[in-house]
Amino acid sequence: MNRWAKPLRVSGYSTGVIMLFLIPLFIKGPYTLHILILIGINIILASSLRLIHTSGQFSLGHGGMMLIGAYTSTLLAMKLGLSSWAALVLAGFAAAGLAFLVGFPFMRLKGIYFAMITLFLAAIIILNAEQWRGLTNGSSGITNIPRPDPIVIPGLLNMNFASKPDFYYFILVLTLATLVILYAIEHSRIGLTWLSIRQNDSLAESIGVNTTALKILGFSIGCFFAGIAGAFYSQYMSVINPSTFGFGLAIYVVAYMMVGGVRRFSGPILGAFLLTLLPELAAGLERYQPFVFVGILMLIIFFLPSGLIDLPKYLKRLFTRRSIHA
Amino acid sequence: MLEVRGLIKQFGGVSAVNNLDLSVHEGDLAGLIGPNGAGKTTFFNLVTGFLRPTKGKMTFEGWDITGNKPHSVAKRGIIRTFQATSLFPDFTVLQNIIAACYLKPKVGFWEEALHIPSSKKKKEHILNRALEITQFLGLDEVKDISAQSLPHGLKRILGIAIALAAEPKLLLLDEPLSGMNAEEVAEVVALIKKMWQRGTTILLIEHNMRAAMSLCQRIVVLNFGRKIAEGTPEEISRNKDVIQAYLGASGHVT
Repeated sequence: MNRWAKPLRVSGYSTGVIMLFLIPLFIKGPYTLHILILIGINIILASSLRLIHTSGQFSLGHGGMMLIGAYTSTLLAMKLGLSSWAALVLAGFAAAGLAFLVGFPFMRLKGIYFAMITLFLAAIIILNAEQWRGLTNGSSGITNIPRPDPIVIPGLLNMNFASKPDFYYFILVLTLATLVILYAIEHSRIGLTWLSIRQNDSLAESIGVNTTALKILGFSIGCFFAGIAGAFYSQYMSVINPSTFGFGLAIYVVAYMMVGGVRRFSGPILGAFLLTLLPELAAGLERYQPFVFVGILMLIIFFLPSGLIDLPKYLKRLFTRRSIHA
Repeated sequence: MLEVRGLIKQFGGVSAVNNLDLSVHEGDLAGLIGPNGAGKTTFFNLVTGFLRPTKGKMTFEGWDITGNKPHSVAKRGIIRTFQATSLFPDFTVLQNIIAACYLKPKVGFWEEALHIPSSKKKKEHILNRALEITQFLGLDEVKDISAQSLPHGLKRILGIAIALAAEPKLLLLDEPLSGMNAEEVAEVVALIKKMWQRGTTILLIEHNMRAAMSLCQRIVVLNFGRKIAEGTPEEISRNKDVIQAYLGASGHVT
């Protein structure tokens, strides 16, 4: 069984990826593609937040970091005329750089205190974006953000990002690349060390782990991807506005992560997928969306603390227990 | 090996460690004893960087380690265990030890992330070392059990295993025998002796006087943060100040 497990898994994953690439051939509706693109952004956000969480730190600042990415990319492209691709990468580094700088003082805090200070940081970032009108155009935001520069390989590929499928492919590649990188990091020595820090940081420190440096590294890497997601968002929407990246967004990202399950790599992916899709299915009830969200979140916290990803395991246990009683 | 000179630690107005001089030589199996609140654990915390001294100097193999961060003290080769049970609860026993092994041999990040063969070899090496340690400390039967479900005695031994995996030159054991029954005490005493015979220098804090006396060649006695005696177990058991510190000023045994 073991001999076939790996080839089976690999072929399963590759079939899945191929199907994801074929989707635009079958789904022509721009609205469905729009939802899929949003799911991609949310997967990047939730999975990168989970990376920070593996070292035991819980950040509520992901919205702020996404704003940094969105504005960095936009301003670099519009004010300095940089290529959108360079702007995308630099947006990631801008967020990571900020995370690195604040990391030194912030990592003295743990648990809820770290969550609070990252929340304050996000609030300060948003206030700055609203008040620094000369640079950011204040709370009215920036419009007419240029599309990504076209990618043309003669005879093979011609992407000018005038249509939804082009953006779909863009976010698909971006999401897959992000997931591969996050997965590789988590399964490296650094990932193992983060897990040990989360479980017992003074023990980790006592056997030679520089816990502060590693937590800062995790925070910076996580924020890098939040910045990338922000840059993509700005290029896709072509409009940005500080209020988009407020407290609500940070909470939503946390919800994607928690509802799916933090303990597993696939948890945030599932969470982002379901919770982005669900409100769309209940269109027309938009006003009640926060209630639905909070309701789901509370149900999960009470009944499935390890997240939806463990639902099959939970059901199995439930049924076997029943049969014992019967 | 470890030289401590004029070490002072004050909490508010109280001196937990007061002008302490202490040396540990390579190959020592030394004990640090004293009544509750004598400053023994504070001393460990000072040496390993978990607390900063108010005054004084500490060197290890010639390096000044005064005020260093815990992880850099650990990298110099001083590894401590904790008085309270301390392990990685969600890992299995073997994973606990592997996690500690991982910190020493340098497996390059990219090598491993990209699954380059040389990293596979190093991983195997780490696994073998971890298995060796489980065998050495008699944990091989429970190696796949999650650490939090171990019985107390084995948890304490796992704490020592984690420290050992980090390749200590000087091992500081903080009450390794606390909360154990007679059988477990005998087992851990034998283990400590075995580690020492394999060349690890050990300084331990212990309340179990009989065990400390039988284990250590040299004993340092602290009281109110001061060193009141130092010598072989026989010398210590005859020392007037020590008897007084333990039995009260009158010296009468009731």
